[in-house]
Amino acid sequence: MKIRLILLWGILKKNVIERKRYFFNSISGLLTIYLIFVLIFFGMKSFVSGPQFGNTADGLVVGFFLWNFIVQVYSELSNALIREARWGTLEQLYMSPVGFGWISFSQVLSSLAIFFLANVGFLYLIMLTTGRFLSLRIASTFPLLIITLLGVAGIGYFLGGLTLVFKRVESLLQIVQFLFVALVMVPVESLPLLKHFPVSFGASLIRRVMIDGTPITGLPPSDLGFLLLNSTVYFLLGYGAFKYFERVAKRKGLLGHY
Amino acid sequence: MRGVSFSVDKGEIVGLLGPNGAGKTTTIKCISSLITPTSGEITIDGVSVQSGPNEALKGTSAVLEGNRNIYWRLTPRENLEFFASLQGINPKNKRGEIRKLLTSLKLEEKMDTPARKLSRGMQQKLALASALVREPQLLLLDEPTLGLDVRASREMRERVKALAEEENITLLLSSHDMDVIEDVCLKVIILKSGRIVVKDRVDNLLDLFRAEEYKVVLGGRLKEEVKASLRRDFSVTMSPDSEELRTGFEVEVAEAKQIYPLLGRLQEEGAQIVSVSRGSPDFEEVFLNLVEGGRDED
Repeated sequence: MKIRLILLWGILKKNVIERKRYFFNSISGLLTIYLIFVLIFFGMKSFVSGPQFGNTADGLVVGFFLWNFIVQVYSELSNALIREARWGTLEQLYMSPVGFGWISFSQVLSSLAIFFLANVGFLYLIMLTTGRFLSLRIASTFPLLIITLLGVAGIGYFLGGLTLVFKRVESLLQIVQFLFVALVMVPVESLPLLKHFPVSFGASLIRRVMIDGTPITGLPPSDLGFLLLNSTVYFLLGYGAFKYFERVAKRKGLLGHY
Repeated sequence: MRGVSFSVDKGEIVGLLGPNGAGKTTTIKCISSLITPTSGEITIDGVSVQSGPNEALKGTSAVLEGNRNIYWRLTPRENLEFFASLQGINPKNKRGEIRKLLTSLKLEEKMDTPARKLSRGMQQKLALASALVREPQLLLLDEPTLGLDVRASREMRERVKALAEEENITLLLSSHDMDVIEDVCLKVIILKSGRIVVKDRVDNLLDLFRAEEYKVVLGGRLKEEVKASLRRDFSVTMSPDSEELRTGFEVEVAEAKQIYPLLGRLQEEGAQIVSVSRGSPDFEEVFLNLVEGGRDED
C-alpha cells in the first residue's frame, strides 16, 4: 500500500509541476469555457425573464459546473495516454512494477484533485457573474460528485482503451462531450430512462442538494444506493473494456506508437 | 519474430544487431512486456514476463526511444524523483543518490533546468539516469547512441560498460552502430527478418572471419598473364598496381590452406613477397558477411 501511495503522490506532484510550468495553457482552457458560459448565460437572459429566469439560471450554473467537471474527468485518461505516447514515456509507465492499473487510477485521482480545486474556483466565478449564489454544501455535494464521477471515470477508461488501439480519438471525445450535455441538462424526472445512463441520476441528485438545499441525509437511501450501483457498474464496465483494449494493443504491438 | 531463443547471464552486455525490420526493438519490447508474443516464454530471473509482468519487471528498466523517455517539462531532478516513485521508491530517501547519479553523468549543473532546454546528448543521458534511478538489475537499451555526436556517444559507451563492470548490471542493447556493439558488448545476437542469424561472442565472430582472409603484399609488378592465371585458379581480389611499383592484393580463400598453394605459385612466378598477414575485418564486415550470407542459427 505504501508503494502505491508513493506512486500516487509522485503522479500528483508531476501533474502539479507540469500545470504550474505551463500555467497559461492550463488557465486558458478554463477561460475559454468561462467565455462560453458567459455567452450562453447572457444569451439565455435575453430570452427568459421573470420568475422562471431564476430556476433556469440556477440549473444552468449547476449544469455547466458539472458538465465542465465531467468532461475534464472523462477526457483526462485519453488525453494523458495520448500525451504520454507522444512523449515516449507511456512505455516507462507500463514497465512500473506497481502496474499500469494503479498508475492510470492515480492519474485520474490526481487530476480529479486538481480539477476539483480549479472547478470550485470556476463555480464561484460563474456564481459571481450570474449573481446566483447556490448552496455548495460540500459535505453533501462532494460525496455525490465523487460517486457520479466514478461512473464518468469508467467512460474515461473505455475511451482510453480505444485511444490505445485506434490512436486518433479526438473527434469521438468531442462527440461524447455533447452527449454529456444532454445527460447533465435533461432532468431524469422528465425522461426516467435517463436514470440508467451514466451521470444523469447523479446530476439530478446534485441539483437537489445545490438548488433545493436538500442535504444528502435528506435524500432517499434507495436513490443513493441506485447512484452507487449505477456508477460502479459503469466504472467496472469501462475498466474491463480498457483491460481488453490494452491486451489487444499489446498483442498487436500498438502500445506507445502515436 | 520466429524461433528467437537466447539467454543472458548476470552482468553480461549482449548486443542485438540487425538491419531495419530485423526485430531488435520488438525483441526488447517483448522482454519489457510491451508486446505480447503469440507463443513462447520470456523469463527474467525465473519469473515469466507473460504471466507475472509486475514481478518479472521489478528489477528491469529500459531506455527505448533515446531522448524521448523523459518528461521534457520537468527538470532532471524532478524526472529522477518521478521515475523513482514509479518504482515505488520514496524520492525523499533517494535525494543524495539522485544528485550523485546526475553528477556521474555530468548533469549536476543542469539538474534544475527543464529537460527540453538540454542538448540531445544530455537528454539521452538523463533518459539513462531515469532508468538507473529505478535500481535495475537488467537494463534494456534500444539504440542508446542514436543521434549522439562522437563525444557524447563515447561517453555513453563508457558509462554503459561501467554499469556492467562496476555495478554488475545485465545489459541488453540494440544498435545499428556496429562500432558500439564491437566496443561495448561481450556477446552479440544478429537478427535478420525476425530470426536469429547468429549468436556468439563478438571476439569469436571477428576471429572466424579473420581466419578466412589473408593479405599478401608483393614488391614489383605482376605480368598480366600471371594475374590472369591467379584469378583463374584462386579466389583472389587484386588491387590496382600502384605508382610505387608495389602491388598489394587481398586474397580471399574459402579454406585457409589455399594460402600455401598461392604462395607457391607466386614463388614459381618469381614474385617478391613482401608480407603475408591475416586480414582484420571490422565488425561491419562480419555483420554484412553474416547477414548477406544468410547463415541461420536454426
